[in-house]
Amino acid sequence: MPTKLIEGNSAVIVGALYAGCDCFFGYPITPASEILHEASRFFPKLNRRFVQAESEEAAINMAYGAAAAGHRVLAASSGPGMSLKQEGISYMAGAELPCVIVNINRAGPGLGNIGPEQSDYNQAVKGGGHGCYENIVLAPNSVQEMCDMTMLAFDLAFKYRNPVIVLADGVLGHMVEPLKFPDRAIEPKIDDSWAVSGTKETRGNLITSITLDFNELERHNLNLQEKFQRMRESEVMFEEYMTEDADVVLVSYGISSRIARSAVDAARKEGIRAGLLRPLALYPFPSQEIKALSDRGAKMISVEMNEGQMRDDIRLATNCAPVELVCRYGGNLIALGDVLGKIREVA
Amino acid sequence: MQNLFAPGHRACAGCAMPTAVKLILDAAGPNTIVASPTGCLEVISTPFPESAWEVAWIHSLFENAAAVASGIDVVMKRLGKEDTNILVIAGDGSTFDIGIGCISGMFERGHNVKYICYDNEAYMNTGVQRSSSTPFCTNTTTTPAGKVSFGNPLPKKDMPAIAVAHRVPYVATASVAYPVDLRKKVKRACEIKGPAYIQISAPCITGWNFEAGNTIEIARLAVETCLWPLYEYVFGELDGVKKVRSKKPVEDYLKTQGRYRHLFRKEGGAEVIAKIQAMADANALKFGLLG
Repeated sequence: MPTKLIEGNSAVIVGALYAGCDCFFGYPITPASEILHEASRFFPKLNRRFVQAESEEAAINMAYGAAAAGHRVLAASSGPGMSLKQEGISYMAGAELPCVIVNINRAGPGLGNIGPEQSDYNQAVKGGGHGCYENIVLAPNSVQEMCDMTMLAFDLAFKYRNPVIVLADGVLGHMVEPLKFPDRAIEPKIDDSWAVSGTKETRGNLITSITLDFNELERHNLNLQEKFQRMRESEVMFEEYMTEDADVVLVSYGISSRIARSAVDAARKEGIRAGLLRPLALYPFPSQEIKALSDRGAKMISVEMNEGQMRDDIRLATNCAPVELVCRYGGNLIALGDVLGKIREVA
Repeated sequence: MQNLFAPGHRACAGCAMPTAVKLILDAAGPNTIVASPTGCLEVISTPFPESAWEVAWIHSLFENAAAVASGIDVVMKRLGKEDTNILVIAGDGSTFDIGIGCISGMFERGHNVKYICYDNEAYMNTGVQRSSSTPFCTNTTTTPAGKVSFGNPLPKKDMPAIAVAHRVPYVATASVAYPVDLRKKVKRACEIKGPAYIQISAPCITGWNFEAGNTIEIARLAVETCLWPLYEYVFGELDGVKKVRSKKPVEDYLKTQGRYRHLFRKEGGAEVIAKIQAMADANALKFGLLG
């Protein structure tokens, strides 16, 4: 397979096309717009559908419609646009529709700026819209993973008939790295077993999230919870780096995890036994693995570009063990020196 | 002229929008509150902690400036300050696309809000994506002209007609190339009670791809080719147009901009130009622009 120097946002489109995605619905927003540009260039060429919507809500609801018809659908946005999409994501979760949504996280709240942040962690990991639902959330940290995880996201979205969010950030979106193109390609195909596509065969299928009867809706919720439990049992994904003998374990994801990994190397050179646990999926969260590290006495540091949203999940996983935090806001990246300083402090 | 939009802002050299804003504020005067959604104007005029605004100014997100202005109107009426001008100054993406629902509500409720769109015919702040204001066969990043495509396949949405259909008391088009006319229209909008809609032609050097010195000339050519008719509707009736003394062919306008370069290089371009000429001719007829 060819290798090409490519931007993270472009890699999302490569992954989507190889995953058999045949519909893209988008709206301009920095720093995610290149996904829209690339989709407008390549989707029509490959006889797939591209529509620039008039708003973020329109885009996510076009996705809802196309997903209901059994298509493989991609949507992408950033902070303010993701907020506008939450209604549609909740409806998709309620109606059990597969869809991949990429969030190129920018700095907030409000308009904020177009620099990178990881402040949409809670929005992505805790559902984000109204009602009881969960999204699978994947967290790439390289251009390669922007492609690979977008592909994986389609597999998972269809496996569970549920929205899957690829949570990246402004740096990953605009960073240029070599991308090894996927060695498998899925042809777009429609799953008629549950979709509604205007055919006789699909007449019996029902796509809805309205259930007026209280007990019926409770049953629907219990079924959804059972599905989320299956996700938690099967889809935990993480990567460990030098954690076996680590006295200090960093937990970090996305662009911050690359800085954290460098900090581990720097600490090891000073003789401090540091390690890194990187969740590849933020939901489901690798709680058991983190608990095991904490239980054997490792000191935990969360490294993330927000006020410690993932730190809360680490605390939950470890029965409220003390968890230190290294963070930056406002579009600033975390400095290696700050992470190393914190490692020295707790070691 | 009172300068209520201070120099030192961060607009591109040759951008038409600050000129438009200066003229708008000069006409509206200091007793004015402006709401602007996210877009070039907000980004170039208010990088914290700086501000170019010498009048009260509030920012909102993409889709809701008309709703924010509606809220301001409610409060100003409650305070008995009905002489304060409440303006929205917004780009075409937020006006024609994502904000149109809130605009419709504001028009329908009849708020005393003057909604002014600086129209540069695409999403310039995020990198020149098409909007529903983008003209037919324009090259943008999401409607790229190439071997097969001539660019944006759809004609420009007729937003002033949508405003007229809401029975908005005052609707007008204006251009930065006609500053006296522009100022007069903003004044008139402020004098008539209730909502108003003004759409200003505002060429963009980066999105339209032309030399910074040519902004006003290009805006003037849009009017002289009848692609940008200047007119006013008062209470639903056409109330005046700017006559075009000698109508120019649309090529004169199209060839000044990189966004139409493909029309002169690609096979089939002449047919597209003929279609654009037909749109200009239809404008001339509809508004009685000639003679």
